[in-house]
Amino acid sequence: MQEKKHEDPTLPGESVEIPLLAPHLSTPHFPARQIAGYVASLILTGIAFFLVARHALPLSWLLAVVLILAFLQAAIQLGVFMHLREGRGTTWHLPIIGLGLFVGLGIVGFSIWIMLFKSGVS
Amino acid sequence: MRPWFIHLIKLLFPPQVLLPDIVGIDIGLTLSALAIALYLTKARRWGWLWREWLTTVDHKRIGIMYIIAALIMLFRGGVDALMIRSQLIVPEAHFMGAQQYDEVFTTHGTVMIFFMAMPFFFGLFNVAVPLMIGARDVAFPRLNAISFWLFAFGAALFNISFSIGGSPSAGWFSYPPYSELQFNPGVGENYYLLALQVSGIGSIATGINFLVTILKLRAPGMTLMKMPLFVWSALVTSTLILFAFPPLTVALGLTMLDRLFGASFFTLAHEGMPMMYANLFWIFGHPEVYILIMPAFGIFSEVVPTFSRKPLFGYEAMVISLLAITFLSYGVWVHHFFEMGAGPGVNVFFGLSTMLIAIPTGVKMFNWLFTMWGGRIRLSVPMLWQLGFIPTFVVGGASGVMLAAVAADYQYHNSYFVIAHFHNVIVGGTVFGLLSGMYYWWPKMFGWKLNERQGRWAFAFFFTGFWLTFMPQYFLGLEGMTRRMASYPPGLGWGGLNAMSTIGAFIMGVGFAILVYNIAWSRMHPEWDTTGDPWDGRTLEWSLPSPAPAYNFARIPEVHERDAWWAMKQRGETDAVKLSPDQVEPIHVPKNTPMPICLAVSFFVGSIGMVFAWHWMAILGGLGVVAALAYGSLEDDTDRELDPTTVLNTEKRLGRVHP
Repeated sequence: MQEKKHEDPTLPGESVEIPLLAPHLSTPHFPARQIAGYVASLILTGIAFFLVARHALPLSWLLAVVLILAFLQAAIQLGVFMHLREGRGTTWHLPIIGLGLFVGLGIVGFSIWIMLFKSGVS
Repeated sequence: MRPWFIHLIKLLFPPQVLLPDIVGIDIGLTLSALAIALYLTKARRWGWLWREWLTTVDHKRIGIMYIIAALIMLFRGGVDALMIRSQLIVPEAHFMGAQQYDEVFTTHGTVMIFFMAMPFFFGLFNVAVPLMIGARDVAFPRLNAISFWLFAFGAALFNISFSIGGSPSAGWFSYPPYSELQFNPGVGENYYLLALQVSGIGSIATGINFLVTILKLRAPGMTLMKMPLFVWSALVTSTLILFAFPPLTVALGLTMLDRLFGASFFTLAHEGMPMMYANLFWIFGHPEVYILIMPAFGIFSEVVPTFSRKPLFGYEAMVISLLAITFLSYGVWVHHFFEMGAGPGVNVFFGLSTMLIAIPTGVKMFNWLFTMWGGRIRLSVPMLWQLGFIPTFVVGGASGVMLAAVAADYQYHNSYFVIAHFHNVIVGGTVFGLLSGMYYWWPKMFGWKLNERQGRWAFAFFFTGFWLTFMPQYFLGLEGMTRRMASYPPGLGWGGLNAMSTIGAFIMGVGFAILVYNIAWSRMHPEWDTTGDPWDGRTLEWSLPSPAPAYNFARIPEVHERDAWWAMKQRGETDAVKLSPDQVEPIHVPKNTPMPICLAVSFFVGSIGMVFAWHWMAILGGLGVVAALAYGSLEDDTDRELDPTTVLNTEKRLGRVHP
């Protein structure tokens, strides 16, 4: 959901920039970068789905390849859609992205650790 | 009759929705809906409803709508609870069949968590947070309305399941393989998946909205460490929502693929892994319980100083505790399924991390007690709920530490001990907190106070009923009664404790009835709040008239210390909030828009299509969503300007202009 950037309602005469969440989308050129990012995301997801559905690789290889695809996908999301490379307003960018990486990696890492039990029992 | 028609009727009205009680409720609800529609038509109120409420983007009105919806859902979840307790009052009772019992406890849990507690504190955030930080609205007012309507239509979707198509019956966390098509072939589970998905989008948006609002729209001078603690709790809750809801979205989405499109992520067949659902669900689910309790912590941190006439003891320690709980709550989720057998390493790690959370929570408890220590305590209704909260939550927290001990948890797991524990913290913490906040901010919302005497009676009944309901359940758990039993045989020594528990539940029901009476009576005999500061409050929202004008602050206040309004009163500078005629500036306010409700209706239509696997309808709903989003993106005329004369006149009427 893209909210339009309007005059900040709080501080008369002083506009607050929130580039991360209220990006300027009024640029007239064709959004080629965004469409390329969208198609690339679909292709990466398709590859991962294909590898798992077809059992194309042994388990350890599969895990490694899927994780690499996931990192690529995350990089595309952050770079193309989340405006990571736009400069202003970095005060909150870095801690929040850091927190996001920490929680994301934590969830994936812990889940692998927790669910490894299956290789021992089944 | 045509065969497709008969098929449709059988799909919409399977035997489980044709029970006499459900048909009775259907008729009652239809009649009341007709009566309301008739009243609105006769009183010519449809236009008013549309202009003032359904299309509004004002955070104060959205907050009020959230709270009304939450109270209705509290009624619905409460009736479910009374049905559960009526079934269990004696051994081998036949108040309901086992299928209906499963549906009722599933609905009770889901409604209370997702459609009562969450919208209730979203409502209080909306009402209080912008006023507390000196803002004119939230950062994204339109997104705020979208959040509300997605919640409202998600809740509606979930609530119609019992009369059309059948309710979900796999519990509030809906574990596979039981929630999979093989064992649960009706449409009930689809309702659960879609309703939570739709309202979940709204919750994530609310999280983002308040995160940005609090980080970006504070009044000049209000640094992070000068914010009221309720704002801090809104900040950490929003962070938790932002990181906790996506795993739920994934878990529900994959289950939907399993059920509707023949995938096998969590099935028993084709190497699906049902426990992966449990893992994903509780990555969401444990932060979720902190999402529920943090706002209550925030409310109590406002109520205690106000009604003790003392600044909060240990502000920094309170903030650090909130942050510590937020951080730790992401590392505890396996304690919901120690019995999966992930191994001693995993279980000990998560057991210890769970116990660690007791430390910052204990710090908060002592800080509230030290705030009261030596204070001039007034026993108004918000303060009563706070005083009831302390012993209740301590018992719940202590039993939580017991559950965190892995070896012991193998005994407690899935028993009534767990039921008693989490009701102790969720009712004793969250619900007490939300009701305290409701009484506290009610005058700010409506301009009149709730009657104190009736409020005390509501508290007395609710509190007594609570202890009578849930203390016996600890012992039932220790005696071996497992949760979700539709009935139990005699001769196990469970009868007396269950009867006590049921009586307690009905006493709580009386408490809720008094609360509703309290609201209705106080509406009819309003005790107007003319000062805007009925409790002698400490934070900025009490510097405004009750209810606040649409733009909140004609002049944004400057903040120099914590409890800014209290400091102004101490220094006799309360006139600083008043306006001089030469200071008036035009104010930008967002325009009302029908886009949020249209978006939510489209989601609703599409979800019905998904629930019944009518693909044409799902596509229709999807197109509606795209159309609403496109309309919202391309529309230019989103805000208007209030000219200085209007502002000045409004402020004059409120007596807030320097002569």
